[in-house]
Amino acid sequence: MNRHRKVVSHSRARLIAVVGALPLLFTGCALHGVTTQGQAVDTLYNTIFSLAAPVFVIVEVLLLFLVFRFRKRDDREPPQTQGSNRALIIFFIIPAIIVAVLFPFGERTLSEVQAMPSPGVTIRVQGFQWEWTFNYVNEGFFSTGKTLTKPALMELPVGQPVHILLNSQDVIHSFFVPQFLFKRDVIPGRTNSFTFTPTEIGTFNGQCAEFCGLYHSKMTFIVKVVSQLDYDAWVKHEKKAALNATCPAKGQTVTMTAHNISWNTNCIAFKAGTPFKLVFQNQDTGIQHNFSIYDSSARKKNFFRTPRLTGPTTQTFNGPALKAGKYYFQCDVHGPAMAGVLIVKK
Amino acid sequence: MSLAETIGDQRAVRGTSSPVLGMVLFVASEAMFFAALFGAYFTIYAGANTWPPKGIETNIGVPAVLTAILVSSSFTLQAGVAAVRKGRMDRLKRWLEATLLLGIAFLALQAYDYSQLNFAIRQGAFPSLFYVMTGLHMAHVIGGVVLLGMVYVQSRTDQLSMERHEPVESAAIYWHFVDVVWIGLFSAFYLATMR
Amino acid sequence: MAITEAPQVHTPQPEPRSGLLAWLTTTDHKRIGILYFINSFSFFAVGGIIALLMRTELARPGTQIFAPHAYNQLFTIHGTIMIFLFIFPMLNGFGNYFIPLHIGALDMAFPRINALSFWLLPVGGLTIVSGFLTKGGAAAAGWTSYVPVSLQGGTGQDLWIIGLLILGVSSLLGAINFVVTILRLRAPGMGMMRLPIFVWSVLATSLLAILSIPALTTALILQFADRHLGTAFFDPSRGGSVLLWQHLFWFFGHPEVYMLILGAWGIVSEILPVFSGKPLFGYRGVVLSFMMITALSFTVWAHHMFATGAVELPFFSITTELISIPTGVLFFNWLATLYKGRIRLEPPMLFALGFIAMFLIGGIDGVWAASPAMDFAITDTYWVVAHIHYVLFGGTVFGIMAGMYYWFPKMSGRMLSAKLGHWHFWVQLIGFNLTFFPMHLLGLRGMPRRIADYAPDRGWTFLNLLATVGAFLIGVSMLIFLANVILTMRRPRDAVADPWGGNTLEWFTSSPPPPHNFDALPEILSNRPVYDARKAGLVPGGHA
Ligand code: HEA
Ligand code: HEA
Ligand code: CUA
Ligand SMILES: [Cu+2]
Repeated sequence: MNRHRKVVSHSRARLIAVVGALPLLFTGCALHGVTTQGQAVDTLYNTIFSLAAPVFVIVEVLLLFLVFRFRKRDDREPPQTQGSNRALIIFFIIPAIIVAVLFPFGERTLSEVQAMPSPGVTIRVQGFQWEWTFNYVNEGFFSTGKTLTKPALMELPVGQPVHILLNSQDVIHSFFVPQFLFKRDVIPGRTNSFTFTPTEIGTFNGQCAEFCGLYHSKMTFIVKVVSQLDYDAWVKHEKKAALNATCPAKGQTVTMTAHNISWNTNCIAFKAGTPFKLVFQNQDTGIQHNFSIYDSSARKKNFFRTPRLTGPTTQTFNGPALKAGKYYFQCDVHGPAMAGVLIVKK
Repeated sequence: MSLAETIGDQRAVRGTSSPVLGMVLFVASEAMFFAALFGAYFTIYAGANTWPPKGIETNIGVPAVLTAILVSSSFTLQAGVAAVRKGRMDRLKRWLEATLLLGIAFLALQAYDYSQLNFAIRQGAFPSLFYVMTGLHMAHVIGGVVLLGMVYVQSRTDQLSMERHEPVESAAIYWHFVDVVWIGLFSAFYLATMR
Repeated sequence: MAITEAPQVHTPQPEPRSGLLAWLTTTDHKRIGILYFINSFSFFAVGGIIALLMRTELARPGTQIFAPHAYNQLFTIHGTIMIFLFIFPMLNGFGNYFIPLHIGALDMAFPRINALSFWLLPVGGLTIVSGFLTKGGAAAAGWTSYVPVSLQGGTGQDLWIIGLLILGVSSLLGAINFVVTILRLRAPGMGMMRLPIFVWSVLATSLLAILSIPALTTALILQFADRHLGTAFFDPSRGGSVLLWQHLFWFFGHPEVYMLILGAWGIVSEILPVFSGKPLFGYRGVVLSFMMITALSFTVWAHHMFATGAVELPFFSITTELISIPTGVLFFNWLATLYKGRIRLEPPMLFALGFIAMFLIGGIDGVWAASPAMDFAITDTYWVVAHIHYVLFGGTVFGIMAGMYYWFPKMSGRMLSAKLGHWHFWVQLIGFNLTFFPMHLLGLRGMPRRIADYAPDRGWTFLNLLATVGAFLIGVSMLIFLANVILTMRRPRDAVADPWGGNTLEWFTSSPPPPHNFDALPEILSNRPVYDARKAGLVPGGHA
C-alpha cells in the first residue's frame, strides 16, 4: 500500500506540471493573421481563449483539489448528500452565462469576416485534382500550377480588398491560407466567394484543406503579397506573356494528348477556312478530360467542344472551319491548367 | 415458482408487449429512413428550375388506383385486427386474405406502371429520386406481404388467439406505415408534379 | 429489508459451460457481451496499429514507408474501425453484459436477435477491412466518405459501403433490443428513476441510434446507386447536389458522436459514486442532461459544414454551443460527487478521473470549433484531429478502461492487478497527451488533416515527432493492459461478489454471475439497491 502511495504522489506532481503547462502552450503559438479578416479571427481566438482558459483551469484545479482533499483517510462513512434543485439550477446557469457571452462575440467576428467591400482585384479560382488556377478576371490572364511539380502563384497588392470566386469541376477542395486564418470549400456545382484585404507584404503558403483524393497533400499554392507598384509590373508582364505564344501550322490534323493532367503542347496552329481533324488521346486512367476552343481565356464564345472522356481512350473528331486569328483552348474539367493558344493562320 | 417466473409474471402486467414495442421502434427507425430520402428529394427539388425536368412525365392515373388499393388494404387489415381482438379467428383469416390480395395487386400494378414510364433511372436527378424512392418503398411492400403471409400461416395453423395476437398487431403497425409512406410518395411524385 | 429468494431456478435453455461451439451459438447476454469485448479489442488493436503506421510516416517530412495512396487508405480504415468497430461495439458490450444485471433481468428481451446483432459485427468489419486485398486497395475517402471523391474509389469503396450497411443493421437491432429490455424487463420495484445511470446512458444512446442510423443507411444507398446504377443524386451537372451527402452523413454523424460518449458518461457516473462513497450528486440532473443532449444532438449537424458557405451559420452555431450547457451540468455533478467523499484511488477511479480531466479539454476544443468564424481557421486542420482524440480517446477510451477495471472482477471472477493498473493509467495518460496535445498547435499553425506528407519548411516537424513518440507510448500502455489481462486470467478466481462496495444489482450476485444471473434479488427501494441491502445487513453473493 505504501509503495502505491509513492507512485501516485510522484505521478501527481507530474500531472500538475503537465496540466499547468498546457494553457501556456496555447498562447503565442497561433498565427496572428495577415489580413484584416484574419486579425479579426485572431481577436476572436483570444476572446474564446479568455473564456475557455478559466473554465479549463477551474475545473482541473478543482478536480485535483477534491481528489487531494478527500482522499480516503479512515473508514468513516461520508455524508450521503445529494444535490438540491437549487444546485441543479446553478449548474445550468453557469455554462449558460458563458455561452451567452461567447455567442455574440462569435457573431460579430463572423460579420467582419463575411463583409464584402468592393474589391480592387477579382480572382476566379478553380480547384482541380490536384492544383489550382487563378484567373485574374479584370486583367484577363491566369496563373496556374502543375500537380507535383509547380504550385500555383497568386500575386496580390497589399491593402486592396481581394474578391475570390471558387469553382470546381471534379471534387470538393478547400482554399486555405493558414496565415489568413480562413478557408472556404470549393464545391462542384456551386460558386463560393469571399473577400479579404491583405495587410502585410510577404509570401504565404496555401494548401488544399479538403481531402480530394490521391495527391490532396500536394495541392499547394503560394500567395505573394507585394506593393502596388510591384503588382502592376507583374500584371503587365503576365499579360504580355499570355499574348506572345506562337507556333507553326503542321497540317489540318492535330493530335492532343492529355497525360498527367497536362497537354502535350500549349500551342497549336492550322489553316483558316478549312475544317480540321482532332485526334484526342486521354492517357489519364479514371480521369475525365475534354477539348474546347474559345475566343479567349475569358471564354465568351465557344467554337468547338468534345464530350468529356474518361481515360485511357483515343477518339477522333471533326472540327469546323475557323476564321484567322488567335483562339484559346482548354480542357473544361481542368480549365487553364490544361490550356493553350490556337493560332489560325490565313 | 422460480424467481424467473415471478419476475417474468410481474413484468408482463401492463403496457404493450415486447414484440409490439420492438415493432414500434423499428417503424420509428424506418420513418427516419424515408424522412432522409424525402430530405434528399427536397434538397434536389430546391435546386431545380423545373420540376419535373422537361421531357419527363409521370401520369397520375395508375398511381391514383395504387393509392386507393393501398389505403383500402389498411382498412381491411385493421378490420382483421379488430376481429382477432374479439377472438373471431375466421374473420381474421378472411380479412388477411383480402389484405394480401390487395398488397399483391399493388405490386403487380406498380410493376405495370414502371413499364409504362418514358424515362430511365440514368436520366438525371428526378428519375434517380423517382426510381430509388418508389423502388425502396416497393421493397417494403414486398416485405410487408411476406410478413402478412407469415401471420396468415399462423392464423391458418391456429397459433393465434384473442390472448396471443401480437404478430397481427405488429404486422398491422408496419403495414400502415408502408401505406403512409406511399401517400407521401404519391404527393411528391404525382401531385407535386402535375402541370 | 426483504429479499426475493429463488430456491430452485430453471434456466430457460441450459447451456454447456464451455466449449467453442457453446460460445458460437450462445444467446446468453453475458457471453455475447464478452464476445463484443473480444471483437472490439481485436479491431482496436488493428486500428491502433494502423495509427502507429500513420504516425511513423508522419514523424518526418518526406515519404518514408507509405505513398499517398496507401496512407489515404490507412486513415480511412483507422477512423472507420475506431468509430464503428471499436468504440461503439465496446460500449454495446458493456450494455449487453450489464443492462440485464443492472435492471434485475434474466437476459435481453430478444436473445436470438441479440446474438445476430453481435455476429453481424465481425462480418461487416471484415467486409470493410477486406478492401486491402482488392486491386485498388481499401476505401480511401476518409471515414466521412465525402462525394465526389468517394465516387471515384474502387472496389474497396463498395466493400466499405456494404460493410457499413451491415454494421448499421447490427446497431439498429441492438438498439431496439436495449430499449425494449429497459422499458419492459425491469425487476419489480425498479422504476425508471431508480435505473442505474449507465442504463439511462444506454437508453439515450439507443434512441439516438434508432433515429439517426437510418440517415446513414439512406446516404450509403444513394452513394451505392450513384456508383453503380447511374443515378445522379450527387452529380450537380445532372441536377444532383454534392452537399446532400454531407447533410445526410452529418445528420447521422453528429448523433453518432454522442452515441460514442454517452456510454462512457454512464460508466463514469457509476464509478465516481462508488469510489467516493457517496451517491451521485444530482441523479435527476444527470438524467435531464442526457435527455437534453439527446434531443439537441439532432439540431447541430451542420457545424461540420461551416466552411461550405452553404449553411445557416448562426443557427448551427448556437445549437452547438447550447450542448455545452447540459454537458457542463454533468461535469459539475461529477465534481460535486467527489466533494466531501472518501476517495479511493483504485484503477477504475483513476481512469474515471482521467476521463474528466481529458474529456474537458476535448469539449472545450469543440466549443472553439462551434464559432463559425473561428472554425474557418481550424476546420480540417489537426485542431480537429486533436478534438476528435481528446473526446474519443481522452473521453471514451478512458471511460472504457475505467469500466474494464471496474467490471473485470464481475465478468471473470478475478481482480486485475492494481499495480499494473496504475502503470497502465500513467503511461496512457502521458502518452495520450504527448500524442494529441501537440496537434492543437499543429492545427493552429495550419497543418491540414488527411495529408500523407508535409514540407519541412512549415514548422510542423518537431510537433509531429512528439506526437509519434507519444503514440508509441500509448502502444506501450496498451501492452501493459494486455499483460495485466493475460496474467490475471491465468490466476485462480479470487473476486468476491462485491469487491468495490458497489451500488447496483450486478454486485449482489456472484462473480461471475450464474447463467440465470441472480439466485436472489434484494428489494429495490432506491437507485442504489445494493447499498441499501448492505446497510440492512444483507451480504451480497446471492446467499442471505
Ligand atoms: C465523443 C465524441 C464527440 C463529442 C462528445 C463531441 C463534442 C463536441 N463537439 Fe465534436 N467532433 C467529434 C466527436 C465529438 N465531439 C468528431 C469525431 C468530430 C470530427 C468529425 C470529422 O470531421 O472527422 C467532431 C467535430 C466537431 C466539429 C466540427 C469541426 C470541423 O470539422 O470544423 C465541431 C464544431 O462545432 C464540434 C463541436 C463539438 C462540441 C461543441 C461538443 C460539445 O458536446 C462539448 C461539450 C463539453 C464541454 C464544453 C466541456 C464541459 C463543459 C463545461 C465545464 C461547462 C462550461 C463550459 C462552457 C460553457 C464552454 N465537433
Ligand atoms: C475512438 C476513436 C479513435 C481512437 C481510439 C484513435 C486512436 C489513435 N489515433 Fe485516430 N482517428 C480517429 C479516431 C480514433 N483514433 C478518427 C475518427 C479519425 C479521422 C479519420 C479520418 O480523417 O477519416 C482519426 C484520425 C487520426 C489521425 C489523423 C490522420 C490524418 O488526418 O491524416 C491521426 C494522426 O496521427 C490519428 C492517430 C491516432 C493514434 C496515434 C491513436 C492511438 O491512440 C492508438 C493507440 C492504440 C494502439 C497503439 C493499439 C495497441 C493495441 C495493442 C498493442 C493490442 C492491445 C490489445 C488489447 C487491449 C486487448 N488518428
Ligand atoms: Cu484539393 Cu484537397
Ligand atoms: Cu458534430
